[in-house]
Amino acid sequence: MFEGTEDGSPEEIELRIAAVLTNLPIIRSLAASIAMRADFDLDSIADLRLAVDEACSTLITQGAPGSMLRCTFRVSAEEIRFVVSVPSTSDTKPSSDSFGWRVLTTLTDHTATWVDGTGDGVVDAPHLVHIELAKRRMEGLPG
Amino acid sequence: MTGTQSSRARDQEGSATGYEHLIPLFDELAALPEDDPRRGEVRNKLVTGHLPLAEHIATRFSNRGVPREDLVQVATLGLINAVDRFQPDRGTDFLSFAVPTVMGEVRRHFRDASWAMHVPRRLKELNLAINAASAELSQRLGRAPTPSELGKHLDLTPEQVFEGLEAGNAYHSMSLDEALSPEADSDPLGDTLGQPDQGLEGVENYESLRPLIEALPERERQILTLRFFRHMTQTQIADRIGISQMHVSRLLSRTLENLRKGMLSDPEN
Repeated sequence: MFEGTEDGSPEEIELRIAAVLTNLPIIRSLAASIAMRADFDLDSIADLRLAVDEACSTLITQGAPGSMLRCTFRVSAEEIRFVVSVPSTSDTKPSSDSFGWRVLTTLTDHTATWVDGTGDGVVDAPHLVHIELAKRRMEGLPG
Repeated sequence: MTGTQSSRARDQEGSATGYEHLIPLFDELAALPEDDPRRGEVRNKLVTGHLPLAEHIATRFSNRGVPREDLVQVATLGLINAVDRFQPDRGTDFLSFAVPTVMGEVRRHFRDASWAMHVPRRLKELNLAINAASAELSQRLGRAPTPSELGKHLDLTPEQVFEGLEAGNAYHSMSLDEALSPEADSDPLGDTLGQPDQGLEGVENYESLRPLIEALPERERQILTLRFFRHMTQTQIADRIGISQMHVSRLLSRTLENLRKGMLSDPEN
């Protein structure tokens, strides 16, 4: 149904959008639409939607004012991998002891966060904060 | 509906509830044989006499995305059911019997039929069909179905399934469950569920999170607990609570959003 690209390599979808909470519905709709078209089961679609929502809202609140959120979805036969990044004035990683992190780890199969130094050329926000999630296709599903 | 305003005014001038003058009619109705032609007349009097009650309940739930007229209609149906089912010899008065009945009817209407925006009937029906098929397939497969499984089951193209699934997002998620649930249709599941406290220990900001979770409506707290502290899937939760997976998804989404807002507005953070 959704075989990715012609040659079977993973499909990559990127979205750049202002890092404001009012944009969350757009990002989560895209997440749900991608998972739906990749023929994930309804629970996994709903989980990914919630997780993407959670990850993005975490980074939006941490992003420098006026910054852009960069969201990348990579769809392969096994999983959907989502990476979201935002320029920030701080080099602190989102806490892995928070309830939000609990939400992410419950909803997905892989969760990671890191900070690196290429703040997209934004002078006041030299750091780039990332969250990565992966949701695997349920085992035993026709793939 | 004409004349209800004046009858309401008249009722309120009367005594405590305004419906006392109708009480003898219930005995009269009960005494009449099933096939007595006067039954219809007495029943009509009872229904029209109690109409202000239906309007009152409908008004209580207006401004929630469903037109008031629809609510009055649904509440009136509930009232007619109540009049028909009421047994005066059981010792309870009509109002204590009718109010939950009418409210239940209105609540069901919200649950089944309220959509946040105008969605074409075709899509509503498609969404309902997908919901039903999803419940059936979940039972059979032991997990949530995929869109392609739904399409095969319902003989729909993938695009039709996607449309139907997306239509579900327009469903009005502000159902009345939370407005009413602790009092009217409290779920025995709530008693068997522990608080998420144990699972929350060790989570930072625990002190500010806990009151937010405690303040959640009963059903939302159950769903949150089952998903994040019992690690049940949305389909399993839907099955256990007796609502659809899509409804679980919407409630969970809104609950997390509210918790985030609550955490953000907490000065401690």
